[in-house]
Amino acid sequence: MRISEFLSPQAVIADMQARTKPEVLRELSAALVRAHPQLQEEKLVEVLREREKLGSTGIGEGVAIPHGKLPGMTQLLATFGVSREGLDFEAIDGKPTHLFFALVAPENSAGVHLKALARISRLFKNPRFRTAILEAPTAADIHALIVQEDARP
Amino acid sequence: MEPLPTAFLLVVAGLLMGLSVLLSRASGRFGLPVAMLFLGIGMAAGSDGPGGIEFSDYGFAFRLGTVALVLILFDGGLNTPLAAVRAAIRPASLLATVGVVATAAILALAAHLVFGFSWPVALLLGAIVSSTDAAAVFSVLRGSGLHLKRRVGTTLELESGLNDPMAVILTMALTQNLLQGEGLGWRLLLDAVVQMVVGGGLGLALGWGGRQLLKRLRLQAAGLYPVMTLALAFLAFGLPTLFHGSGFLSVYVVGVLLGNETLRYRTGLLRVHDALAWLSQVAMFLVLGLLVYPEQLLEVAWVGLGLSLFLAFIARPVAVLLCLLPFRFPAGEILYTGWVGLRGAVPIILATFPVLAGAQGAQAIFNIVFFIVVVNGFIPGATVPWVTRKLGLAANVPEPPPAVLEIASTQLLNGELSAFYIDAASATAGARISELPFPPESAAMLIVRGLELLAPKGDTVLQAGDHVYVFSRSEDLPFLRLMFGQREDE
Repeated sequence: MRISEFLSPQAVIADMQARTKPEVLRELSAALVRAHPQLQEEKLVEVLREREKLGSTGIGEGVAIPHGKLPGMTQLLATFGVSREGLDFEAIDGKPTHLFFALVAPENSAGVHLKALARISRLFKNPRFRTAILEAPTAADIHALIVQEDARP
Repeated sequence: MEPLPTAFLLVVAGLLMGLSVLLSRASGRFGLPVAMLFLGIGMAAGSDGPGGIEFSDYGFAFRLGTVALVLILFDGGLNTPLAAVRAAIRPASLLATVGVVATAAILALAAHLVFGFSWPVALLLGAIVSSTDAAAVFSVLRGSGLHLKRRVGTTLELESGLNDPMAVILTMALTQNLLQGEGLGWRLLLDAVVQMVVGGGLGLALGWGGRQLLKRLRLQAAGLYPVMTLALAFLAFGLPTLFHGSGFLSVYVVGVLLGNETLRYRTGLLRVHDALAWLSQVAMFLVLGLLVYPEQLLEVAWVGLGLSLFLAFIARPVAVLLCLLPFRFPAGEILYTGWVGLRGAVPIILATFPVLAGAQGAQAIFNIVFFIVVVNGFIPGATVPWVTRKLGLAANVPEPPPAVLEIASTQLLNGELSAFYIDAASATAGARISELPFPPESAAMLIVRGLELLAPKGDTVLQAGDHVYVFSRSEDLPFLRLMFGQREDE
């Protein structure tokens, strides 16, 4: 599985405007709809919100991986956003969150969905990679960084 | 001649305690706080009831009540996660200080203007009934199968853990004022600050010391660990109190510090203190019920009813509104916090203090306070489940699993078991166990599905509604929480 298969450069936001948790979910959903117009923004926000109710996907160190299952999808899709200022995403370490990797999976594809979650969370464990992303100026640069890190053995 | 009196005493105690436990299930169904039930049983057994037991030892009641409160506050602290403290400390500490003073003052105003009490008595009355008891709220909610949304719940809980000290300080000072007719002034405020600082400071020191001690302590018998924590709880109350600090604040702080540390034999410790807190509740309310003469309560019925309704509808809501305005709480949450300020045993115990000090009119104060607490158990007490649903503050918390798996050990271990509820929205719902990307040192241990226990094999499919027990290293917990959702035991 390669992240480039489900994260397109158009779905990357280099400078998120959201200041609160609900705004983050909305902004990420809107970005995903821009990249994949067949999706419905309202439904995306709803599934991400449902998952956040079970406990925040902010896994600490400034990283959050909101995710959800959407009926009718044919493949895994993702969007990535950077909040320069960071915001309170109720992360488990209580620190502000800067990096948001949102993931939406078709129903009945739990295996792929979980594998992607594991892959992404492992990727962002690397502190140098996190810093590099925060320093990258454009969406294209950020996308390139992610693809490059993902290709490393 | 002994041992007959002792045997008789134990038979009576056994009967009363047993009856309280047997009837506790029924009280939940009627939305009545269990505390009120225990109190009622005590009253029925007492001098004016069918039991006819003569008991009017205020000194014993005060001492037992204080020990009981120490155990209840310590247990409350042990079960308060640090995250809850962080989230609610600011609103809760304002409610526990300014809120307590405001409630007392507003109620005193009504007692003086409407019911004609002199200022010293009115102020003392206000101070005595000014602290809340979150355990009462939670016991009523649990009886109706409801859980509170997180922020409201933690604020109420932390407030009630922190507000007894202020009520105690005010009551002691105002009793002195009633006895000696000294003017009240800035000294009272200064005194309160000193008590809080000494109590909080010694609490932090003892909590830190207790942590170090419990980490290094190795005992042969597991049963000795709770004896050590009990000793720490007693010291945590006693030492600061001897040095003019608030013992109640200190014991709560020590409880929080110890409860948030990975201790040897932790689950066992928590269970022992949970049982001690329940024993305290039962014993304390039974004795307080025995202490009162219900016929004397009738004499103060109108005053008691009036003050109780004033407390519920005006004093508490106004004080809460004042304290919560700076925090941008939604209106519904402010309204709720203002309404469910249930009173527990603390006011009744505090009301024995002026009686013991021999203050004039203290007996009447005791009866009025008793009446206020009882009425308060029904209004707002009995309305709590209804109001919680109406204001949309009930949280969707899954039913706990019928079977609980845990590791009991007197040694510190390098891993832990955590329980996760599989919600339909979790990424793991519908996944085969073999598809779960567990970190190398983790694995699923047991699945609880309804009343069935399943061994997690590679092709077992997780269904929404399952509870899964996972063994892991603590550093892998963030990823497990990403996969499953929040832990059930948090």
